[in-house]
This record gives sequence, structure tokens and C-alpha cells, in this order.
Amino acid sequence: MSILEYNGGCVVAMAGKECVAIAADRRLGIQLQTLACDANRVFRMHDKLFLGLTGLMTDITSLHNSFDFKLNMYSMREGRLMSPQTFSSLVASTLYEKRFGPYFSEPVIAGLNKDNTPFLCAMDLLGAAAYADDFVVSGTCAESLFGTCETFYRPDLGPDDLFETISQAMLSALDRDCISGWGVTVHIITPEGVTAKSLKARMD
Amino acid sequence: MSRRYDSRTTIFSPEGRLYQVEYAMEAIGHAGSCVGVFSNEGVVLAVEKKVTSKLLEVSDQSEKMYVIDKHISCAVAGITADANILINQARLAAQRYRYQYQEPIPVEYLLQQVCDTKQGYTQFGGLRPFGVSFLFAGWDRHYGFQLYQSDPSGNYGGWKATAIGSNSNAAQSIMKSDYKEGLSLKEAHELAIKVLSKTMDSTTLAADKLEVTTMLKNKETNEVQVHRLREKELESLLTTSGLLSAQTETSG
Amino acid sequence: MDSIIALTGDGFVMCAADMTNARSIVVMKEDMDKIMELDRHRLLCMAGEPGDVAQFTEYVQKNVHLYQLRTGVSQSTRAIANFTRNELAKSLRKNPYSVNLLLGGYDQHDGPEVFYLDYLGTLHKMPFSAQGYCAYFILATLDRYYKPNMSEQEALEVMRKAIDEVRIRFLIKQPDFLIKVVDKNGIRTVSK
Repeated sequence: MSILEYNGGCVVAMAGKECVAIAADRRLGIQLQTLACDANRVFRMHDKLFLGLTGLMTDITSLHNSFDFKLNMYSMREGRLMSPQTFSSLVASTLYEKRFGPYFSEPVIAGLNKDNTPFLCAMDLLGAAAYADDFVVSGTCAESLFGTCETFYRPDLGPDDLFETISQAMLSALDRDCISGWGVTVHIITPEGVTAKSLKARMD
Repeated sequence: MSRRYDSRTTIFSPEGRLYQVEYAMEAIGHAGSCVGVFSNEGVVLAVEKKVTSKLLEVSDQSEKMYVIDKHISCAVAGITADANILINQARLAAQRYRYQYQEPIPVEYLLQQVCDTKQGYTQFGGLRPFGVSFLFAGWDRHYGFQLYQSDPSGNYGGWKATAIGSNSNAAQSIMKSDYKEGLSLKEAHELAIKVLSKTMDSTTLAADKLEVTTMLKNKETNEVQVHRLREKELESLLTTSGLLSAQTETSG
Repeated sequence: MDSIIALTGDGFVMCAADMTNARSIVVMKEDMDKIMELDRHRLLCMAGEPGDVAQFTEYVQKNVHLYQLRTGVSQSTRAIANFTRNELAKSLRKNPYSVNLLLGGYDQHDGPEVFYLDYLGTLHKMPFSAQGYCAYFILATLDRYYKPNMSEQEALEVMRKAIDEVRIRFLIKQPDFLIKVVDKNGIRTVSK
């Protein structure tokens, strides 16, 4: 089993009309044994910027703590919040710093730009970024997620429709992966605020 | 005789004094005043904004009030450039603590680190001390709201009400008589600006001549926040204290 | 080969650990205490490579103590858990510690908490947990019988069920278990 599949888990983010949604499963496992069903993979960096991390849980925690540090210093020094584009560059360079001994984690960044247009980005564990305007995926069932997202996605969805779409895409893909699942959290980010929802999934 | 002893910071004088440290405190005595008042509901920091020239660009970021972390803010009196170095170090220290323990840094713990740095410059290196005094306002789960003052020597103390900068002695004596235990946050605000008005160079106060930040607990989320009073809030505060200058009253 | 179990109850955390110290075919000690007392209200259950365990857990204990001496206050369980995780994560890519831990503590503000912490630095707060081979046997038992906010009596019953399961089904003989409880009054031993 590869290191990226040791703890299991997946994240997907989708863009709508002036909104983004990011969803992640909640399983924490040690290879095939399930340890917990309330692991957190999606982190709020600020009200218009969310980071989802998959892969090895210890590296997820380390990376998240490190980004919190850097983001806090930036916002205090600059007197403003970091834009999603800048943040994706920060994430990429942090990952590439460890090029020959990387963090085993593949991030997904979802946010709203200053003009409320959606921003999506996915990276591999070395920091190679791919920007998209429809959806991005990461994790153990990334391939399945690509398939379901491609099928369900439609451009310019409103927040409610986006929530439905991303939930269906996530649940369908999860059911085909034995090391992801055990519940899903979805965050919908709009200019007015953030809504968090939990989905009941197959608990297996 | 003493001339041989004060050209080097790290040397005691024959009378047992550190002249450079005292000179630093002199420098701070010329800076704009800062007042801090503690109450159980929050801590108020009020500073005088010294506008040196009309040509200076007005910036959103203050040169006297800084946020160190979400639960700690500070007011500065003294050389701004020196303050910037220490503020940056304080911010890094707070973030390093957060990184290691995933918890906000206890206020006194942070203060000890900042003051240890300041003390280092009075003992080794042959460098001059930092010409800055701070008022730190913060909250932690061990001791609740706290107000601290630190000076160039590296000493610090916890205070119920204190002042630094110009006319700080006068401010202290006013607060000695006017401070009461169990002040509400509103009363703390009023005390702070009352004291500030008495020590400021100008006789009347306008909202653009001072800055007030409050460290308080958000009633809805129960989180600690640093709230910088906006112009409207400042004006209403000045009006209720009867300190608003005549000019702004007629124009506003 | 170590078996350690921890669960939260109503205002307390109960930790159990086997007392056998064995290496390949030899049993060296039958009365080893694998539950370290970090301070008045925290217990650290240790499992893994014996040398690493001793070094690392003592390091954590002394740092906790140092913090208390320096500042006069003790840290929350969460802060200690994160400090420990940080140390494990830092050493993971240099000279890794082969140590699996369960940190159980009672905090004035946060109540009873159990943190699972493995050798990679995976930290997770859970109502109950186990480390070692015994986990394969008893996590399901605990899933079935554990209820939140149990009394000490009920928790002891559940713990006994779990320990009996290990005794019956685990290949290695682990006759004795030490059970410690930590609550707002401190730590006490409830031996098996």
C-alpha cells in the first residue's frame, strides 16, 4: 500500500456562480482498520478560503498548522487577508521545499476572489498546481471522483444546486472506495458567508 | 565622572544605574501618550495620535496600536522603528507557540519572551537598548483579561490602569484617584479617554486625534476579539464623556 | 505487543495497560507500569519499542513539568497532546521514535479527553481508543458496550470485558493489567 493510501480519504471542490463548495469524507484509518469517523480534512483558512488536504494524516496536520502560522503572520503584517491565488503559491512552494523528502499530502484549495469569482486549485504532493474553473479532486478515490464530477457538473450553479451536485458526486464515488467514506462534510462558501453541512453516507 | 560610564550600555555607573536605559526612558517620555485601563469585561487601550505633518499619507495601519495575535494587542510609545522589530518578534513568538501547542499563547508567557529580548540589549553586545515601552492587553484561559506594561529595561508589571509616553506621571496620578475596582467596560472607556484628554497636548479632543482599541469577548461567539473603535464610535464616546471639541460638534 | 486501552467516562478517564515486558521468547518483567503520570491530571499510556518509549515519554514528562515550573500554570490536555505530536512529527523524518501513545487527561475547562497518537504523529481525539494488537480485538467490543458519560462502575465493567477479550483471543499471554483513573481529584490506581 502506498503512503498516500495509508490513512485514506478524499476531497473534492466545485465552482458555481459566485460560490464554491468543498467536500471531504470523514474516515481516519490505519490501512484497512478504521480508527475514527470524525476526522477533519477541510480547514477554514479565512472566510473566503478553504483548504482540503488528503493523504497521510500526520502530514495533513503538520501542513495545516504551518499554513495557519504563515497566514496569520501575513494578515497581521499586511493588514489584509491573503488572496486564494497567493495562497496557492504559498502552498506550492511549501510543498516543493521538501522536494526530496516530501509531505505525503495532496491539497485542494477552494476560495472566492476579491470580486467573488470562484477560485479552484489542486496540487500533487510536490506542489505541481492545476487550476480549474469547474471542479478539482484529490485522494484515494480521485479517479472515481473525476468520473462522477464530470457527469454531474454543470456551470453556474447556485449555492443550493451546487451543494446537491457536489454531494451526489462525492457519495457515488465514495461508495466505490473501501478506504474512504464514513460520512461527508460539505462547506459552501458564498460572499455572504459559509454554510457547513454533514451528509449521511454508507458507514462502511 | 559619569561621562566615562554612559557611553557604553552594558556598564553600570558608580551609583549603580544603567544610564542608557534611563536615556531610553527619556526618549519615550517625548512620545505620544498611551493609556490602558483594565476591567473584568475587557481591557481598553487608548493612544494619542501625533500628526507631524499634513503632507503625511494617512494609512489604515496604525503606528501605535498593533495586534500581536487574535487575543493580544499592544500600544507603543517610543521609537517606532524599534517597536517594529519587537512587534515582529512578538508575533512570531505567538505563532510559534500556536504551532507547537495549537493553543493561544498565555499573555505573560509572551511578555516574558519580549522582555527577555529587551533585557539582552542591556547586558550583552554593546548595543543600545530598545527605545520603546509597551502596553499589552490580552486574554488567556488561566487569568482572563490582563494589562501589562513593559519598559526598555526589560522589566514588566501587571496593571489595573497605567500610562506610558508623555505626561505619563500626571496620567498615573489621575488614575490612582479615579480608578475603582469592578469597573464596567463602558466606565473603563470613559476613564481612559478622560485621562488621555488631560495629558494630551491639545485641549480639546477630536475623533481623528486618538485611537482606542478594546479587548473583549464577543457576546455571540464567546471568542476574544480586538476591536478598534471606528470614527462614529469614537465620536459618540467623546460626546458622552463631554470631551468632544467644539469644531467637530458644529461640523459633524 | 503492548496492549493499552483508554476510555472517557463521566468526569474521568480510565486507562488500562498490560504489565508484561517481553522480548522475543523471554518474559522479563510481569509488573511493568506502562501508564506514566505526566502531571496531576494527565496519563500517558505507552506502547512500542522499549528504549524509544522510555526516552520519549520521559522527555515529554519533563517538558510538561518545566512548563509548569516556568509559568506556574499547567497546560491543557490538548496542548500537551499537540506538543507531543509535534515532537513525533519533527523526528519522523530524522530519527523516528517507534512509540504509540494514548494520552488521557482531565481538564478543568474541557473535561475528560483521550487522544490517540501514533508513531507517525497522527493525532486524533476520541471517546475511547486502544493501541497495539489488542486494538484488533477490542475496538469492536468497545464499540458495542461503550456509552458516553458512564459511571466509574460501568466503565470498569466495559474495561473488564475488553481485557477478558484480549486474554481469551490474543496469542501472547498477558495475565496482568494495570488500570488507572484520572479525574478532577487526580490520579488513582484501580488494579486488576
